[in-house]
Amino acid sequence: MSKLEDALSAGGFPLVVEVKPPKGVEVAKMLAPVTGLNGQVTAFGVPDNEHAKMRLSALAAARLVKEAGGEPLMLLTCRDRNRLALESDLLGAAALGVENILVLSGDYVHQGDHPDAKPVYDADSVQLLMVARELMAGRDSAGHALSGAPRFFLGAVVIPEAQPLGPQRLKFRKKLEAGADFFVTAPIFDLEKYRAFRKEAVPEGVKILACLKVPSADEVEKAARGELRKVYSLPPAVIQELSGGDPEEVLAKGAAVAGRLARKLREEKLADGIYLKAKGRPDLAAAFLKAAGF
Amino acid sequence: MIIAERKPFREIQDMVAPYGNVLIAGCGTCVAVCLAGGEKEVGLLAAQLKLARNLAGQTGRLGEITVERQCDREFIEPLREVATDYEAVISTACGAGVQFLAALLQDKPVFPALNTTFIGVNEAAGHYTERCRSCHQCYLGITGGICPVTMCTKGLLNGPCGGPIGGKCEVDPARDCAWCQIYERLESQGRLQQIEAILPLHPHSRTTSPGTVIHPAYLRRYAAHE
Repeated sequence: MSKLEDALSAGGFPLVVEVKPPKGVEVAKMLAPVTGLNGQVTAFGVPDNEHAKMRLSALAAARLVKEAGGEPLMLLTCRDRNRLALESDLLGAAALGVENILVLSGDYVHQGDHPDAKPVYDADSVQLLMVARELMAGRDSAGHALSGAPRFFLGAVVIPEAQPLGPQRLKFRKKLEAGADFFVTAPIFDLEKYRAFRKEAVPEGVKILACLKVPSADEVEKAARGELRKVYSLPPAVIQELSGGDPEEVLAKGAAVAGRLARKLREEKLADGIYLKAKGRPDLAAAFLKAAGF
Repeated sequence: MIIAERKPFREIQDMVAPYGNVLIAGCGTCVAVCLAGGEKEVGLLAAQLKLARNLAGQTGRLGEITVERQCDREFIEPLREVATDYEAVISTACGAGVQFLAALLQDKPVFPALNTTFIGVNEAAGHYTERCRSCHQCYLGITGGICPVTMCTKGLLNGPCGGPIGGKCEVDPARDCAWCQIYERLESQGRLQQIEAILPLHPHSRTTSPGTVIHPAYLRRYAAHE
């Protein structure tokens, strides 16, 4: 059993901190949070060509995290691989000791740095969860027997502020049915909106890692201008608190806001743990931890 | 119908630059409706090419002919005779028509004047939008007459991705999220239960190209070719 699974099932309020695989092969910076924060962090999220921008493979990065002493949570998108590649990467992950997997559709290629690439989506995230479950049962998606079945702790994504909410809830239900063990939300800044979602849409017992993000100054400015086109929103009070100052000051304030939100989420039992996006920087994650009082 | 767009003129001009007498062969069906390769467009291309070739000091004759459909052997057969007077042919048909014509005129270069884009509909004059990816497995009965394979940019079968904002697609904010539309339509028809079940992985083996369909009534006739 992974530490993440153990912590979630024991009500231990785990913290997952996201690292940033490099666009290149210099991995020291990516691993800095692992070496710097390991004692305070349950697992390290490893994005998979995040925002459709080509970076070092999540599978290799997850193994590097493990070798550096951390427990990885490997993200796996449907965008870049057909079912053969998805399945073989899942087997590869298991063989390399990567147990925590977060499946997602993946941002479309137009949003990244290879807009002419062929988008794959041979499976969607619901189907990928089912494929992973099949592998765990000792069969591939075509029904062929495996020599040794992998073991995974499977996560999926949910969007609390989705508009309209109906189609998102349909997908959420299907992910649950397909065997998601836990969910990671889209970034949360607006506690009220998240609270409503949690109350209305999340069945009892479903494990939720609330995603908290340290936003860049650019993102805050866009939000202030009403130009932030995201599946989450920054409420006016947060925008006001984060606005002003140089980019580094905005990041520091953002880490404090995220920490404060984490404390409330924990106190009010609105989440079962946190998935922190802090630019892959150990100093911002440390500032978050301090503000959260973890 | 098949929707296509004309290639940039310069690309067409360059393709036929080495040839003197060139026949421009139009197609009177889909590409005529979408104003890309019918008789009128053949005339326009011929005029444009003639002018450019005159300016470049190039000699040679440009012929024009438009057939009903280039994807039908009986309509293109007469072109075998017509093409004998020409060194090369420009086809303004879709990719299927160009290939059928090229197969007919084995010893003659055939060049495409269009880029074939999709199977779509005529929204309004000059406005065409995609509707079908000819995936061999139609889900429209389940999804309220809105195709998730085509209309969802990612072709997802089990609901929206995490990207739609206010019902709009994450890829293009001007476009509706197909899954939001599917949900809305089925909800309004009281048929939401149809999309509750998880759809399995798509059978891509059926889409292995090039595809062949034989009408059941003709199975005996073509059995020898199978």
